[in-house]
Amino acid sequence: MAGVSFRASQSANKRKTFLLLASMGALVWLVVYAALTYFGKSTTAIVPIAVGIALISVWGSYYTSDSIVLRMTGARAIQQSDNPNLFNLIQEVTIASGLPMPKVAIVQDSAPNAFATGRNPEHAVIAFTTGILDVMDRDQLQGVVAHEMSHIGNRDTLVAAVAATTAGAIAMLSDILTRMMWFGGGRRDNRDNNSNPLALVVSLIVLILAPIAALLLKSAISRRREALADATAVAFTRNPAGLRSALEVLAADTTVVRQRSTAVAHIWIESPLDAKSVSRLFATHPPIEERIAALRAMESLGPAT
Amino acid sequence: MKTLVIVLVVVVVLALLIVSIYNRLVRLNVNVNEAFAQIEVQLKRRSDLIPNLVETVKGYAAHEKDTFEKVVAARAKATAASGVAEVAAADGMVTQALRGLLAVAEGYPDLKASTNFLALQEELSTTENKVSFARQYYNDNVRALNAAVKTIPTSFFAGMAKVTTREFYEVEDPQSRQAPTVKF
Repeated sequence: MAGVSFRASQSANKRKTFLLLASMGALVWLVVYAALTYFGKSTTAIVPIAVGIALISVWGSYYTSDSIVLRMTGARAIQQSDNPNLFNLIQEVTIASGLPMPKVAIVQDSAPNAFATGRNPEHAVIAFTTGILDVMDRDQLQGVVAHEMSHIGNRDTLVAAVAATTAGAIAMLSDILTRMMWFGGGRRDNRDNNSNPLALVVSLIVLILAPIAALLLKSAISRRREALADATAVAFTRNPAGLRSALEVLAADTTVVRQRSTAVAHIWIESPLDAKSVSRLFATHPPIEERIAALRAMESLGPAT
Repeated sequence: MKTLVIVLVVVVVLALLIVSIYNRLVRLNVNVNEAFAQIEVQLKRRSDLIPNLVETVKGYAAHEKDTFEKVVAARAKATAASGVAEVAAADGMVTQALRGLLAVAEGYPDLKASTNFLALQEELSTTENKVSFARQYYNDNVRALNAAVKTIPTSFFAGMAKVTTREFYEVEDPQSRQAPTVKF
């Protein structure tokens, strides 16, 4: 049964996402706890403010992600008549996945890459660079389309938005609180504080390290969603070889999408940032060799029925 | 008073649970119907391609009468088929007949190079993919429905929701069973 492997991979990656999101929640709690220990009850009001600001800033971009990302990447929406073969491929995957037909867009760029975004499957957009359409054959492109449609089906824009909100709130909290320390506010005024020096030092370390930890968790979540999308793509096409050889093409390719704004790095199928410029722990994608190996493992089980 | 509240809460929770199970079963059943409709849509699309394809091949290989007749006969049968088993059987025959037709086309380089045939080939391969994905999607939905109908606690409410296990869509494909024979 070839079906076992991608299903196992899907549920493992879903479970890990859940654990990572839970750790993110635990981190928020830890930061709040550290703040209360260090500054006393006067800081309680800051928490909802930080979460509120983070929510508002991320929610807007999440809700209008389809149009914002198109603008940031310079993608142009196309119609069926512009590229009927590409539309055929996408229609095939919509039938395999039961998802509605997304909007399709093209980015003028010779570097092969693709992405999908949108707040829900009804407002999804899937974009390809002209480079990827030129270098890939039908099976490879089908694998790429399936990977992107998996992001839509798995609601990865929502997952990314939740991760970004939490990481943003933690960063803001830590920022406000370290400023408060600088200006010596808060602490001296509150006599009811915990005065255990060890507790104070630990809370200080938590407050300083929390934003980095949040960023690490955010990147780890992004990597899990990429691995999940690979597995879901195989569930759709039952053809790991297509996506695997597409990833091999991407791995062999050294060109990089021109507008490499880190803000939208996580949405591409292959990270548009140089491997060296981001360390492994902060990478938004698993190493491409690892993804190829995972797909190879699914292939060795033979073609699925 | 307190026991009354507890009893009320239990009753409400149970009712909500039953409603959600009932709705889930109905939804799964509707999904299967929709998935089957999708298969039929894609089969229809393929049927519509056949006359054009046959005409194109005929232009270059008029004497391959047997192959054409097989395709046309399979298509006629598929148009009349209804019900999962019958549609699947007819689908298998068309798939096989089309394979034969494409094998014939392989022998005519002029035909393979003609723009008309190239355009048709892309249409045919995407339609073939759509048909097979529609089958896969249908079978995935049947699997989900059948699992729900057979497992506790959903199984208790299958009768109430008038939902029963459904038939898988199985296409007879001799090619997957026997090694291909090559004739010269």
